[in-house]
Amino acid sequence: MKIRSDIVRMYRDIHSWVGIVCGLALFIAFYAGAITMFEAPLNRWASEPRVFTTHTPLENTPELVEKVLAEYPQAANRYEITLDAGLQDRPARVMWSSGRRGGGTTYYAELAEDGSLQVHTEGPSAVGQLVDDIHRQVGILLDHDIAMPIVGIVSLLYFIALVSGVIVLLPTLVKDLFILRIGKNLKRMWLDFHNALGLFSLPFHIIMALTAVVFALHDQFYVSQRALLEKNGRPEVHEESHEHRGALAPQQIVARLQEQSPEFTPLFMQFHYEEDHGLELLVSGTNPRHGARAPHYGMVAVDPYSGEKTMTGYMPGEQDGWYATLTSFFSLHFGNFGGNPVRWGYFLLGLAGAVLFYTGNLLWIESHRKKRRKGYEYLEVSQTRASKVLGALTVGISLGCIAGISATIAAAKVLPLWTEAVAAWHTGIYYAVFFLATAWAFYRGAARSAVDLSYVSAAATLLIPLVSALSAIIPGVGWNHGGSTYLIDAVALVGAGTLVVLARKTLARIHSAPYYSIWYVGADPVAPVQAVPQPVAGDATGV
Amino acid sequence: MRPQQLSSSNWFGKASAGVIAGYLLTIAICGIFSRFGPLEVGSFSAQAQITMWLMAPVWALILSFCFLFQNGWRAWAWLGGANMVLWGILLIGRFVIG
Repeated sequence: MKIRSDIVRMYRDIHSWVGIVCGLALFIAFYAGAITMFEAPLNRWASEPRVFTTHTPLENTPELVEKVLAEYPQAANRYEITLDAGLQDRPARVMWSSGRRGGGTTYYAELAEDGSLQVHTEGPSAVGQLVDDIHRQVGILLDHDIAMPIVGIVSLLYFIALVSGVIVLLPTLVKDLFILRIGKNLKRMWLDFHNALGLFSLPFHIIMALTAVVFALHDQFYVSQRALLEKNGRPEVHEESHEHRGALAPQQIVARLQEQSPEFTPLFMQFHYEEDHGLELLVSGTNPRHGARAPHYGMVAVDPYSGEKTMTGYMPGEQDGWYATLTSFFSLHFGNFGGNPVRWGYFLLGLAGAVLFYTGNLLWIESHRKKRRKGYEYLEVSQTRASKVLGALTVGISLGCIAGISATIAAAKVLPLWTEAVAAWHTGIYYAVFFLATAWAFYRGAARSAVDLSYVSAAATLLIPLVSALSAIIPGVGWNHGGSTYLIDAVALVGAGTLVVLARKTLARIHSAPYYSIWYVGADPVAPVQAVPQPVAGDATGV
Repeated sequence: MRPQQLSSSNWFGKASAGVIAGYLLTIAICGIFSRFGPLEVGSFSAQAQITMWLMAPVWALILSFCFLFQNGWRAWAWLGGANMVLWGILLIGRFVIG
């Protein structure tokens, strides 16, 4: 396709700059996001076996709820009943929180064999939530309300990067697309790789960019629309209070739902009491044939007195066209349709996205140096300070994120041995490793630290299956759940192996790279510049 | 008339027009959709949520293509003019047609 050359040039500049500004944040978002695709097995892998030996049978739940409400009256406003006993993130039949809307301490309750009330506050591992937070806030260690607008800006820049990247690629699309020029010109090869990766996963990236903008900025969008556009919405209608009647038992509600929607598998119920409209009930669950509004489930509002569905807008499989359209935006981001094949696809696309941003940054460094050399080939061949800083940041932040996440996951099985504050330790370990890695990258430079930190990341990732192995050997240390959780260990092994290969490749590269490359390590990078002016032809090597 | 060459050097004026005038324009476009289409604004209905979702693609596209204006002044003039037209339609719809 023909596009005016000045437009292509302009968009190439724009692509470089927005890529540089948001690339590293996006690396973190994509790497952590890829891992959240398997948050459920990860949480199971990382969670201690239940503290409760028995699960209260569903038919005895009314008795359990009665005892909970007698002893903890504050739970009456909002409590949840787990229906599926196998849910790792809901280790008890009844749960509630001391704070409003799920904040504060979470309590878990079951009936003992003798019918007495058992209450614990130990919940599932916090590591899955940490990875999810890193993903959603692109690793920004700030309050949610401050971090989210930054994420929104990053997402908008990301979209601009996609559009500008496509415009730059369009004129040579047919020529370049199916070509991967593997050879002496490493920069050309990486550019081809970057282009192919970006273009083939473009629909995925467009979805991620646009949904991320909404996830980050929806509050601002709603406020602006309400303020500036006329209100023609209808007021919310609530059923009037049914206090004079008795609510159905959970078992009866499940049975009524089963009659009405046989394909819907209810997972848990949230009871919520409000002065104005009495007891309300949301039942969350899945329908494997349909995507859902939340990452792992959809929900339906149910009348707790009759068991009738009252609002099915968020119920997988029973939405009208409007709600189904809306849900598709969410499920396209979460990849929660189509089961495990789609999850694996999203996992790989997420990792590929991370690679895209890593290669993008390194390409910028090399072309930045080249551009500065133009016409002054005999003078300016060393890296600029900006290139060095960006090189160190790229290596430190990317590999620091990988090493930090691996280290904090590996710690999950041993942390409970010596601390109560498991969640704080998980956060601490991640950010300690992350910041140390970044500092190390500045101290050693991009080239040397890339080798060091690749080995560190490999070692941290190897710790994951190692801890599992230790748990199997040493009694009292950790646990193993078996089944699909072994997949976590297997994937970690593959990841560690890949990182070792990467480290060895980088090591070979930093000794063979030309002295002006960011990957060059030598006695003194400046010295040869004055000795021999480098011929232009020798410039064929890159990133 | 041969068009002047575009360049990324005068990005600030164009980008600021895309951010500010583009944002207001995006809200106006959503307003047009909700006024004359089946969508709505404000409540938490599916239609109102879709009106909110519409913000992301519209604003992101304006931001991506605002660089095609010759310079910042033109970007502000065009996007500002589009704002006046669309907000005008919305106000006429609200106060004249009712």
